[in-house]
Amino acid sequence: MPRGALLVGLFLAIAAAAAPPAQRVVSLNPSLTAMLLALDAREVLVGVDDYSVKVQPELAGLPRVGGLADPNLESVAALRPDLVAIVPSEEQRDFRAQLRALGLPVLELDPKRFDEVLDAILALGAAVGRAPAAEARVAAIRRARGEIEAAVRALPRPRAVLVLQREPLFVVGRGSFIDDMLAAAGARNLGAEVADRYPRVSLEWLVASAPDVLLDASDDPTPAVEYWAQWPSLPAVAAGRVVTLGAGEVTLPGPWLDRALWTLARALHGAALPEPAR
Amino acid sequence: MKVLTRRRLAATLLGFAALALGAIALGLVVGSSGLPLADVLDALRGRAEASAAADIVLRIRLPRVLLAALVGGALAVAGVLFQALLRNPLADPFILGVSGGAALGGIAMLAFGTALGLGAAAVPPAAFAGAAVATLLLYALSGAGTRFSSTHLLLTGVVFNAFASALIVFAASVAGLAEGTRIFLWLIGSLSSARLELVGSVAVFLALGLVAALPLARALNALALGEEPAAQLGVDVERTKRVLLISTSLMVGAAVSVSGLIGFVGLLVPHLLRLLLGPDHRLLVPAAGLGGAAFLVLCDTLARIVLGGRELPVGAITALAGGPLFLLLLRRQAGVGGR
Repeated sequence: MPRGALLVGLFLAIAAAAAPPAQRVVSLNPSLTAMLLALDAREVLVGVDDYSVKVQPELAGLPRVGGLADPNLESVAALRPDLVAIVPSEEQRDFRAQLRALGLPVLELDPKRFDEVLDAILALGAAVGRAPAAEARVAAIRRARGEIEAAVRALPRPRAVLVLQREPLFVVGRGSFIDDMLAAAGARNLGAEVADRYPRVSLEWLVASAPDVLLDASDDPTPAVEYWAQWPSLPAVAAGRVVTLGAGEVTLPGPWLDRALWTLARALHGAALPEPAR
Repeated sequence: MKVLTRRRLAATLLGFAALALGAIALGLVVGSSGLPLADVLDALRGRAEASAAADIVLRIRLPRVLLAALVGGALAVAGVLFQALLRNPLADPFILGVSGGAALGGIAMLAFGTALGLGAAAVPPAAFAGAAVATLLLYALSGAGTRFSSTHLLLTGVVFNAFASALIVFAASVAGLAEGTRIFLWLIGSLSSARLELVGSVAVFLALGLVAALPLARALNALALGEEPAAQLGVDVERTKRVLLISTSLMVGAAVSVSGLIGFVGLLVPHLLRLLLGPDHRLLVPAAGLGGAAFLVLCDTLARIVLGGRELPVGAITALAGGPLFLLLLRRQAGVGGR
């Protein structure tokens, strides 16, 4: 009975919309944690994963419930959350089922593309009673994207590689939110020609692909310019266009994609990029 | 079995040397970027300085091909020696726990080195130190100065490997996500971090192993009859065992320290060669060095091109190719009524 199903669905949607906002939230992912902080929902957080604290040191006082790969069920349950926010990665998929078996409400968000990150901000905002803040944040990100797309339209599109890790070498491939941002910021992402998401590539590929700009978001202690100087045949090295990106500055699918977009645009175009209208 | 004449020895080894050189040449010419042959030759002649082609041929492919040859040779020779020493056809270079020690040293450095401010360059020395410690421990525990039995040696190795892997799991659990991928590559075996500086050190230890093993080839032939008959033939069994234990362990330690645990080379190549050449170690040991080199260079060349610009760890190739090939060999051997 499709009509019956529709009615039930409608009822559920209304019930969800009318559900009281969550008061005690456990976040098991640093990007979701960052979204809650950005939406001014710090006080609803009652526990986070270890990695969230690494990214957001100001949360050091909060109870921790384990790493991304091995969250501790007992610690989560002991916090009596009314919402557990997770990204159902391989590791957390089993964990989700265990949470559900305990009757704990789970909000799973798995933003992969740029627009999905924005949807995740909205969904999380709605769940914790911060819908207006979420809408404002998303609007700011959309505005930044529009401004940047307009600003780079007349500029040349540099051939770029964004390195996530040096040894072994991982780069940003096709169909991730970072790939979307590189396109919006006016780059041709060479990694997108290799494979989906975040491929491990060979050094031979990197040297042969000859990027104009090399963006390094790895957390290796050796400075990027110094490290890549060992490959002077790379056009990016020869032209001095190796740019260090801070940890998580563009690689976290979090609430500050507007900043990430500007960071990328500046790294790609340098002085040629007009400053944002304030 | 054919008698081993000087002439047959020379002809066979020349053949295997040609095979190894052919594999090395192929490894230099072929790669994911599809560089034209003319560019490769220019780079090799030094006519393409500071170009992408020169970097690809001389600084990316060359160290990798040379390291693959050395690691493959070391693992195959160590396989032949361990199988003879322990009189166990299933013995491989990793069986005595040397790999466990090397892996533990390397992985501990991978997991905690970044925190100590040490880069990836510190990993091979740490792994080699682990292998050396494991070798000394093995030597001390299994013999304690008296004569030591092969069973004793095997059991010590198995237990040591299990102990090391428990510590590796601990290190991997504590390490971050980035270190996790490096540990995974280490365990499956990969040559992607090959650098020219590493080639020299592995070459020294491979040479050391060969120099120690070749004069003992005759003793190894006698050992195949059993320890007592060998002793009656005038072989100093204990000394042979000790020399081989130390030299092979250092050889394997050097190989593992730069490439991780590449499986099947030390099992497949020696068995294939025994089938082809017979059981004489005067021929088997040097042939394994050359044959192992050719095998691993070919496998790594495949690993470099099969996914285009992406990398595949060579350990996956040796296991994928080696597993079925080994079973086939085993079946053929059983079919003709061999041992």
